[in-house]
Amino acid sequence: MNVPRVAGVGLIVVVPVVVVPLVAALAALPWYGGPVLLQFGIDVLLMATLAQGWNIIGGFTGYPSFGNSVFYGLGAYGVGIAMAQFHLPFWIGLLAGLALGVVFAGVLGLAVLRLKGHYFAICTLGLAFVMTAIVSNLPIAGSNIGLVLPLLKSEVLFYELALGLLVLATLTVFWLAHSRFGLGLIAIRENEDGAAVMGVNTTLYKILAFMLSAAFTSLAGGIYAYYITFIDPVGVFDVVLNVKMIIMAVFGGAGSVFGPVIGALVLSAISEVLATRVTSLASLFFGVVIVVAVVFMPRGLAHMSAHLRDAGWRYFLDNVRAHRL
Amino acid sequence: MDLLLQILVNGILLGGLYALMALGLALVWGVLNIVNLAHGALIMVGGYATWMLFTRAGIDPFAALPITAVALFALGYAIQRGILNLVIRAPMFNTLLITFGLEVVLAYLAQFWFSADFRAINPRYAGNNFALGPVTLPTVQVAAFAIAIGLTVAMWLFLLHTRIGRGIRASAQNLVAARLYGVSPKRIYALTFGLGAALAGVAGGLYGLVSQINPYIGGPLTAKSFVIAIIGGLDNPLGVIVGGLALGVIESLTALYVGPTYRDVASFGILVLVLIVRPAGLLGRTA
Repeated sequence: MNVPRVAGVGLIVVVPVVVVPLVAALAALPWYGGPVLLQFGIDVLLMATLAQGWNIIGGFTGYPSFGNSVFYGLGAYGVGIAMAQFHLPFWIGLLAGLALGVVFAGVLGLAVLRLKGHYFAICTLGLAFVMTAIVSNLPIAGSNIGLVLPLLKSEVLFYELALGLLVLATLTVFWLAHSRFGLGLIAIRENEDGAAVMGVNTTLYKILAFMLSAAFTSLAGGIYAYYITFIDPVGVFDVVLNVKMIIMAVFGGAGSVFGPVIGALVLSAISEVLATRVTSLASLFFGVVIVVAVVFMPRGLAHMSAHLRDAGWRYFLDNVRAHRL
Repeated sequence: MDLLLQILVNGILLGGLYALMALGLALVWGVLNIVNLAHGALIMVGGYATWMLFTRAGIDPFAALPITAVALFALGYAIQRGILNLVIRAPMFNTLLITFGLEVVLAYLAQFWFSADFRAINPRYAGNNFALGPVTLPTVQVAAFAIAIGLTVAMWLFLLHTRIGRGIRASAQNLVAARLYGVSPKRIYALTFGLGAALAGVAGGLYGLVSQINPYIGGPLTAKSFVIAIIGGLDNPLGVIVGGLALGVIESLTALYVGPTYRDVASFGILVLVLIVRPAGLLGRTA
């Protein structure tokens, strides 16, 4: 619906002129940015990856998952358990977390993706609570105390890993926006019965989308675990984190290619500025952004930037008028 | 055997309170088609309001409940009138998201004013109990149970037999027809949400009496209320009582036989299972 259609000529210009130099500049950031900027960069890149991961199931497929934090937690615990309990290298933990997340999404997707609307949303929310409670009871996962990982003082590595993951996630979403598979997902979002009639194997497509979403989310969780070196159930299965990915994707433009990345960047930057003044103000900010964004710009920055020039301030009023009582 | 009986009674007493918690959520969901993710946060606010009235103004917590109810009604009325009425016709996901935004804001404000410490409402008689055959009944819990069940039944009678109650039910069934008969949807929606918030407020006050409150109890309480609404259906407040009692008993039995740390695994596991097996609810219509 609001997937930006870049024309053939535009694409040839946009990729080498804007995207490639931008990614190169970002990749070189450790060599010209300070440590504060680097840490902020890791946070933003991971959040953007999470938003992009949510975009696949929530934005493209139209299934508003409140359980993506489960995949994040599984990825984090894959790394945590492998490194803290079995003294295995980081890479093995990352792959274990990835496998956990993807398999979990596949098995669970079979059951929960039959639900629609409220039911899907709350069921996945319930899953996040169940996982917190289960992991709090697992001795191998450090019960409710958590796990301490070996310290690796190499922020450059984490930064480049996070950047690479985000690029991969965005390329995947770009592919979705232009592939038969992605169009199938959009068809499911717009009209699931209609998509089924047109020959889309909706069950398979939805589960694959859920697994793809889980893959990026659990990888981000794994990187986060090693970067932060301490994980506990309440911290990594955090429902608020899930809401952050949703609002970043929705604020930027759910179902678009670059919207979630821009949303994550803008919101993280503002919340970072607020957090340096009053630490806890950042969480209030997210709440207020959700309320204001849903009322005035429910279709996100991507849609707004396309229509604001024509409609001006009326764009916001039109949104209100369209949905109020 | 006596232990099992005691645990069952404890579960039933807790379940009555759960029923009251879920009633407001079910009412708002059934009439406005909004699953209010801020419902647990409203329970939390009600808990703090009662706590404030008790510790700062010295009002007996049970006597403070009506004041809490009025305050929460006003808050709910304002939220619906000022914010939610603006997005009521938006896709389901938007209303879900905006109520989560409200939950984040309420949790922040509570943490700002009351800090993240656990608070309990402890009147002088908090430890009193009496024996009934082999089981011991804590006075406060029995009173909370009685109020919760009483309010739930009263709500049912209110919806059935009063003019406003009929207006609310009519709007839930067919808004256009209700409008033609002179129901003002803006007012009736705000009234409904206000009632839901007032019920949450009273439930919060009672929760503070039998348990502890902190700014972050909202999310899990919303999820529990949702489980109960799913089990009981939205048609009939009496279904909510069944759902609440069922959850209370299951939680207590889990705590006894599996371990207290598995309580949440049980209640949220039921949520997921019920949704997967019977998404239309166990007893009645859900949406």
